[in-house]
Amino acid sequence: MALEYIIILFLIISLIISFGIGANDETMAPLYGSRILNMKQILILAAIFAISGAILLGEGVSKSVGDKILLLDYEAAGINQNAVVMTILISTAIVLILSSAFGLPISSTHATIGGIMGLGLLLGGGDGVNWSTILEMSMWWLASPIIGYTVTYGVVKVLKKHKLKSLKGFKDFERSEKKYSYIILIIICITAFARAGNDCSNAVGIVVGVGDEINLTLLLIMTGFGLAVGVMVLGRIVIKNLGKMTDLRPSTAFAVQVPTAAVMLIGTIQKIPLSGSHLLVASFVGLSKASNIPLKKGMWKIVLIWLLTFPIAAILAIVLYVPINAVI
Amino acid sequence: MKLFKEKKNELDEVNGEFLSQSLTNIIDLHEIVNQFINKKFNKEDLEKVIQGEKKCDRIKEKYVQVLFRDKRALPFLVEDRYNILMMLDETNDKIEFFARFFAVYPFELYEDVKKEFGDLNDFTVETVEKLLNCATLIEKDFKAAYEKTFEIEVARRKARKAKFDLLEVVFKKKDNPTKIYLTSKLVTYIYEIAQWAEEVSDYLRGLIIKYPNR
Repeated sequence: MALEYIIILFLIISLIISFGIGANDETMAPLYGSRILNMKQILILAAIFAISGAILLGEGVSKSVGDKILLLDYEAAGINQNAVVMTILISTAIVLILSSAFGLPISSTHATIGGIMGLGLLLGGGDGVNWSTILEMSMWWLASPIIGYTVTYGVVKVLKKHKLKSLKGFKDFERSEKKYSYIILIIICITAFARAGNDCSNAVGIVVGVGDEINLTLLLIMTGFGLAVGVMVLGRIVIKNLGKMTDLRPSTAFAVQVPTAAVMLIGTIQKIPLSGSHLLVASFVGLSKASNIPLKKGMWKIVLIWLLTFPIAAILAIVLYVPINAVI
Repeated sequence: MKLFKEKKNELDEVNGEFLSQSLTNIIDLHEIVNQFINKKFNKEDLEKVIQGEKKCDRIKEKYVQVLFRDKRALPFLVEDRYNILMMLDETNDKIEFFARFFAVYPFELYEDVKKEFGDLNDFTVETVEKLLNCATLIEKDFKAAYEKTFEIEVARRKARKAKFDLLEVVFKKKDNPTKIYLTSKLVTYIYEIAQWAEEVSDYLRGLIIKYPNR
């Protein structure tokens, strides 16, 4: 296939991936749940930060997909590496889009690893996958919700004991909540901005690898728009679903969001593959338990989709690999 | 920030106005009922209570306008405040309903239930006064407002006792059945004011528990 056609094809796929990632972005859920902003304002804000984050932070980020997990000798086995990478990304995007359509937040890393495992098994059998890395990652995936739950539970208890209990009446309470609403707004905006920069690397990585003829700035703008459209079209369902999981106020949204962001930051620095979605959902559960506020129905659906993400992504990658390999 | 501050001040002002007018209504009614017991009753005075309720309705409309002007300001509290306002307004509606019924009540009070009726009147006004006091306290002091809700409960119980003491006497009478029936209605309607006031105070207590200082 001619290079220009390959570039166009990769651009389209890059857009689909960015749409999928944006569609499953639950960063703004605490803002919706605590009703600091309404959905329209949230979507505008999400779009602004998705585009600006992608443009301003996306340039320095480039990710290789599956290097540590796939144990394939591409040249010796005659495997088309581009087809492998593209299959993984497309299967990830489809899983993300599907789960977003049902309003269920999943980990994009889970979906990616599921796809990688599927292809590893297809192309290399049992030896095609680095099982020790998978095992190590699985431990962290199991740990993510536990960490999210524990940290938020602790923060809510401390906050209630030392800060919220000292409030006297409605007026005092209102003043306090107002402060929290400003803090949470700033933190979520920064998170959305950083996340857009990080997420766009998943989408642009494949196109950047094709050749030098691509205008990177234009590519980042496109990806940013892909993320923004994803949030606006399907992401709203995820935000709404997660935001309504339990009763939130600005102070409790703070107790959910800040530990999640802090744990994620530590995880990133320590190169621990924690899942932001899992941390956030578990934080909601931690808040619910610490505050004795009941959880809304739908929690088990989210846990079920977390468990099903691997097999679905793996099967999808296996099914998609044959036609993609034939085209590229 | 400025918008929020202006809204807050305006909200305080209109809240004070509403509570103050509600207090005037129940005090006026109390006085009129006492006049009725002492046979110095002038039905036209009840118009003051009816007009007072109308004033409250107008203040309520203003309150709602201010409350929902900026929806971003503390969403849950806005809804809670709206519920408090509506429940307090229902108290005023019950006061007005009683006043209208009282205006068409065609009999004089039985001599032997004057004390009980006076007690019922006193405890009803006490319940509503304490409720309005609690609604003021909840703005600044959750603890004091929480304690006040228990005082309201006690006052309502006293009103209930007075009501049944009175009905016990009235139901034993072999008088004009219409007078007996309408007197029992009169007693029931005034007691309903106290009963509703306690329901509002229960709601306020729930809010105090809901918010985090307890």
